[in-house]
Order: sequence, then structure tokens, then C-alpha cells
Amino acid sequence: MGTMSFRNLIINPIVEFIESESQQHAFCIDNRFFTYKQFGEVISKIRNKIKATASGQQYIGLITNDDIETYASIFAIWMEGKAYIPLHGLQPVSRSLEIISQVNLGVVFDSAGKANFKGVSVVNTGTLENAPNNFSDLIDFSENELAYILFTSGTTGKPKGVAINRNNIASFVASFWATGIVLDEQDKCLQCFDLTFDVSVQSYLIPLLKGACVYTIPTEKIKYSYVFTLLEDHQLTFGSMAPSMLRFLKPYFDEIRVPSMKYCILTAEASPMDLIAAWHHCIPNAEVYDFYGPTEGTIYCTYYKVDFEKGIKSYNGLLSIGKPMDGFEAVIVDDHNRVLEKGQKGELCIAGKQLTPGYWKNEEKNSESFFQLNYNNIATRFYHTGDLCYIDVEGDLMYSGRIDNQAKIQGYRVELGEIEGHARSFLEGKNAIAIPFIGASGNTEIGLIIESPDMDRLTVDNYLRLKLPPYMIPTTYKFITEFPINTSGKIDRNKLKDALL
Amino acid sequence: MENKTLDGLTEIFRKVFAEPGLVLTERMSSRDVEKWDSLAHLIMIKEVETYFHISFKIRELASIQNVGDLICVVDSKLKDQSNNH
Repeated sequence: MGTMSFRNLIINPIVEFIESESQQHAFCIDNRFFTYKQFGEVISKIRNKIKATASGQQYIGLITNDDIETYASIFAIWMEGKAYIPLHGLQPVSRSLEIISQVNLGVVFDSAGKANFKGVSVVNTGTLENAPNNFSDLIDFSENELAYILFTSGTTGKPKGVAINRNNIASFVASFWATGIVLDEQDKCLQCFDLTFDVSVQSYLIPLLKGACVYTIPTEKIKYSYVFTLLEDHQLTFGSMAPSMLRFLKPYFDEIRVPSMKYCILTAEASPMDLIAAWHHCIPNAEVYDFYGPTEGTIYCTYYKVDFEKGIKSYNGLLSIGKPMDGFEAVIVDDHNRVLEKGQKGELCIAGKQLTPGYWKNEEKNSESFFQLNYNNIATRFYHTGDLCYIDVEGDLMYSGRIDNQAKIQGYRVELGEIEGHARSFLEGKNAIAIPFIGASGNTEIGLIIESPDMDRLTVDNYLRLKLPPYMIPTTYKFITEFPINTSGKIDRNKLKDALL
Repeated sequence: MENKTLDGLTEIFRKVFAEPGLVLTERMSSRDVEKWDSLAHLIMIKEVETYFHISFKIRELASIQNVGDLICVVDSKLKDQSNNH
């Protein structure tokens, strides 16, 4: 196994902390602390169970509860050379069944022992017999074996599985440390993402590789106020967050002060510049980063370190997503996959060791999303991110929304992000989402949904008319007090579209 | 428990969580009400603030685990208000 292997970068460091028998905490879950030694014991008993009853299963379903058994299951599964497929306990049973059938899962681990799927054996990891730590029998597996499959919503309505292998994760870990972020055993780290969403992997894995402590959010707790409690009462030092969560906290920013925070990562969706600037006052000593990446690129592909003194780089009010991480190549292409020059806007495409080997049993989607490009005279496999970007003179990527977040209005190509950016700047940080729809005339028109109680639409309309050409002016406005959020912590555009129509 | 507080909260909960017949108990929490997620919680809190003319600190919100806690916080804020007037 090479030095950059999954075994060396992921398994060995964690086993070292477990075997050191130190009283260092690995997790704080619902106010209960678990040492690395205790974590290892739970991993060990789950490994024993896998060896006894699931050794023939390559893929194991995992109900995502917030407890030590669920996190330990992930590492037990990895140590046995298998992959986990997270199943959200609160998602509709039909969606879980669809995932189970696509992967042909034979076994599901559930620490609560409540799961019940026809034809699938359920292992209750919450009631296993205790076992002492034993990691002397670990063996190496191929780097091509999968580590997890995450299902994201597909355009056809059927969830599509993104398969991530051991080499993808090892490459992610190597490129993450290359950003210069440094953690150690003193660090206290936030894990506020659902285990069905890949930022959770960064949030639990990165701290454990350095002997730090992971602070989680109990499932039934109200996330944003619980996050506040963790940040302030435990004085956390590292955390990744979605801008949507910060928006929940924004009315209380003047009450929040976390001087202990050393690093704060914004991710999961585009970061509004004014929100981040306001948040920085709550975490005055933190380095702030904007990390970007589709699940297909294993968590993160590019990052931008915000320099509050030099000035925040942004486009349409959204933070730059910076430069590719170590080992990634990024190009901007036109509709014919021709590489564009700096400054020209097109689709961001990425290549590198973190790229998924492909969608799970979905050849059609694979041939659509991946393509070969002659890059620096080498045939290289690139992925279409579907994100609209350009590269500025300093080589930083500027994010301009989704490709499909464009509309053709009266023959003009309109970027909805531009309308949203002007609206947000007029509304002093209130969120605004532009949605194209077919109007009474049969033409495409734009509706603007503003996250606010009812207000005078004319003032917004007048402002937009000063900034935008007539064809970009919304023909209808709607006010919604709170935008709906999906399970990945992002604004749910589909639900907003329904609300408009 | 102040009856006025309970009546007001019942009205708000029934509207926000779209359950017209909901009967509040002190031990009721987000586990017991299907639509009580983070977003609905935020909307509910804003409704409570408007209804009772109070505004919560985030630390107070963080202390609320169930309906009983919410009633306590609301009552104590209403009491502070009347003492200050």
C-alpha cells in the first residue's frame, strides 16, 4: 500500500488514537462524551458482528441515527473493506426501499433497531455484546473498493447513487491537509450535517484523524439553536456550516461570540458576502473559507480563503469559490466542451483523483456527465458540474449559479443569479430567488420570491429597473417568511417553484 | 401555568404545525409533532414573539426542549415586562 492509501491516511491514524488508550474524547453526542478507547470498543463489537453475519455483504445500509454506534459502524464497515449506504430514518420508506433495491442491499444496520424492510435483515448495533479493542487483524483492501454510496435526487425523480471509493477519500484527505488547515488533539469540531450528505464525512472524519473531538447534533433537536449552544458553551474551534444555517442565526448575531473558533468553513451552497461579513464578527479570530464541491468530486474540489482586510472577492454578491484543491484540474467550457479563456463564462468542469468512478448502475447518466478532454496533451476524464463560472485574472473561480439557473427570455439568455444578486443587495441581505415560469401569454417570465413578510413590491421593482434591462425584470413577486430547506441544508428551489405557481 | 399563555401558544401551534385539533401538553416536544422541524420551529418562535410582544434571546431559545419550557420562558418574559412598566 502506498503512503497515500486509505489504510495509511484514514484507518491507521484512528487506530493509533484508539490504541494510545488516552482519555482524549472522540465524540460529544447529546452532552455525553466518548473517549477514543470507548469508540474503538464499539467499532470492535460491530466488526465482530460483521464477521459473524455480514461477511458476504459488500454494501451495508446504515440508518443515520445520532449515536456512537452509527459513527462506529462506518469505521467498522470500512475496516472490513465494505461500503456504507446511509438511509435517513425520517425519509419516506419508499425512498429507502428504492435505494435498497438499486444497491440490492441484504443487510441494514440500525442502532435503534426499528428499521423494517421486507427481505432485508436488520442488525441492531445498539444491543451487541461488548468486545475489547482488537485491531491486530486488519488487512488491506483494494483502493478501488467503494467506501460509500450517497444518493442524491435525480432529475427523473429517482434517486441516483454517487459511488465513492477508498482512493477518492484518501485523495480528499491529502488535498484537505494541503490547504494548510491544522488540527490537533485539543480541537473541538462541529458536525452539523446529515450523514446522507457528504459534508458530514469531512465533519466527522477530519477531526478523528488528528485525535480531536467531534460534536454532533441530536436528531430531534432544533439545529440552529443547538449549534449555538455547542459553539458558545463548548467554545468549538473548527466547524463547517451551510449559509442557510447562518441565516437562521443571523437575527441573533449580536448575542453570539465564539473567540475560540480557529477555522470556519462555509459550504453546501453559495455563500452571500454580506452574511459572511456579518458572521465574522461572531468568530473574530477565525480563518474563514468557502469550500465548493459536488458529491461526485468527493466533498470539496475548490476553496477560497476569505481575506477580510484585503477585501472579499465576490460576484453577484456571492463569495468566490477560489482555486482547485491539490490534485484537481478545473476548466471552463462552452456548450461544445471547448475550453474557454479567463474571464469567459461557461460550465465548470473538474478532473482529479477525487472524481467518483461513476454513478451507481447508471450508464446513461455516466456518459452524459463525464467526458474525455485533451488537457495539457493528456486525455483526461472530466466531470460536468452543471455550475456556471468564470476564472478571474488572479485565477480564482467566480460562481454564477447553476447552468440550469438560466432562462431564455425574449431570446436573451438571462442568468437568474444576476437578478437575485441585485435584489439581495437592495434588500440588505434578505434572500431572493428568481424562478422562470410560463406566463399567461405562453412566454417565459420571471418570478421573484423574497424571504420576507409582505412588503411594497414597487420599491424592489423600481430598484431592479435601475440595474437591469427590461427583459430581466420580474413580472410577479411573492413574499415568503422563511424559505424551505432540503435535507442537505440548502434552499429548496423546487418547493419555492411550487409556491410561485 | 398561565392560561393566557397556553391559549395563545395553542392557537399558534395549531396554525404553524397545521394541526387544528392539537392539544398542548407540557412534555410535548418536536418528537411528538410531525411538522415540528427546524424551519417550522423558527416560524413558530417568530409568531410567539409577535403574539406576546416579546423577543427571545438565542440562549433562551436554546433552553427550550418542550412546550413546558416554552411556557416558562414566555411567562418569565411577560413578568419582566410588567415589572418594568
